[in-house]
Amino acid sequence: MEAKPSTANLVDKIVVPGDVVLDLSSMTNQTIKLGGGLRQECDSVSVIKAGKLRFSKPNKYWVESSQKRYVPCVEDTVLGIVVDCKADNFFVDIRGPTIAFLPVLAFEGGTRRNIPKFEIGSLLYVRVVKANPGMNPELSCTDASGKAAEFGLLKDGYMFETSTGLSRMLLSSPTCPVLEELGKQLSFEIAVGLNGRVWVNAESPSTVVLVSNAIMNSESLSAVQQKIMVDKLLQRIK
Amino acid sequence: MEFVSPEGLRLDGRRPTEMRQLRAEIGNVAKADGSAVFEMGNTKVIAAVYGPREVQNKSQQMSDQALVRCEYSMANFSTGDRMRKPKGDRRSTEISLVIRQTMEACILTHLMPRSQIDIFVQVLQADGGTRSACINAATLALQDAGIPMRDIVTSCSAGYLNSTPLLDLNYVEDSAGGPDVTVDKVIYVDFALNGRVKASVLWDLWLYFGSYGLKET
Repeated sequence: MEAKPSTANLVDKIVVPGDVVLDLSSMTNQTIKLGGGLRQECDSVSVIKAGKLRFSKPNKYWVESSQKRYVPCVEDTVLGIVVDCKADNFFVDIRGPTIAFLPVLAFEGGTRRNIPKFEIGSLLYVRVVKANPGMNPELSCTDASGKAAEFGLLKDGYMFETSTGLSRMLLSSPTCPVLEELGKQLSFEIAVGLNGRVWVNAESPSTVVLVSNAIMNSESLSAVQQKIMVDKLLQRIK
Repeated sequence: MEFVSPEGLRLDGRRPTEMRQLRAEIGNVAKADGSAVFEMGNTKVIAAVYGPREVQNKSQQMSDQALVRCEYSMANFSTGDRMRKPKGDRRSTEISLVIRQTMEACILTHLMPRSQIDIFVQVLQADGGTRSACINAATLALQDAGIPMRDIVTSCSAGYLNSTPLLDLNYVEDSAGGPDVTVDKVIYVDFALNGRVKASVLWDLWLYFGSYGLKET
């Protein structure tokens, strides 16, 4: 009854599942890389997750979307909460579809004799090592070369949960405007997990509260609006 | 009773092919992974999606795809007279099954093996077309949760009263006793996932009107 619509240029526009992004029959002899949120069906590439379509030269397409739930990917750095300790693994909740395992030996200089003791509920900064669909992801507290590199237990501070889109924005380079503005006036420590968890620590609780609120408010604001918002918050405490 | 006046206006002043006002909101339920409120005229429905998450009943776990569960319920205060049994009656079970089958066909379940996706739909105000509003709300909630889907599913009901095909029936028109159909369609791909007919008369005309309404949705 209805003909397929012509594929207008949807790059940098919001797309919904079912939108056809590329018509491959008209592009031959090209290698195209598809990232998350896109699927190839015979001759067309269509969207499977709602979000903004992005394109980076020369040939990468992906859909940027922001959700509450995290999909584990290899080499992601995330913040996990320990839920159980077994003989071989710690069970760590990383806000994904399944609980993740952290092998007891996956620490720098880890042997059977110096197994760290984490209480249930501790917050860890870890790296995802294995993430296959249908299997529990595996984590590690070392980087690829085996060094500790800031991974491990996060003490004190305050952790809050946001969407995955906001964590990606906080980790983008150049530094996100919100963090830059806050960093000019306050000193604090921050750990951002790609699974939507952010940990903030500072000398005084009021700084922690201010930084957390500033970050939570900044998701839908543009760079200029973020600077104005941070300025307003900082003026209030002076 | 006259459902379509001689000038061609229905009881609420609409034309036969006119839909009721649509409103949608996303992200209302903070705890859910995805949620949506969908209104079609006076019918108001809220949908909440949880998942993909660990399967709670290990015996139902499927090793190659995700398990989709759906629960449809009507709030006690949603209809004119207060309802006594909002869940578990035959109609709710049937509509839950219908919504589950529709969404399962659309979600790319093979990307999330051994996990579970829960869709909870509750009718807050019922004025005809609750099934359609539920499917529309469930689609929006699934997209809010970021669950990969083949396409958007939209749904609309159509009926036939006073020798006129009507689109998007409200409660009075729905309970008038004429035949009606709810059409769910995936945009741009021509197949109806789910069509239910009470009397098999003038099927083509209804499908035409049903898809006309879906284009507007």
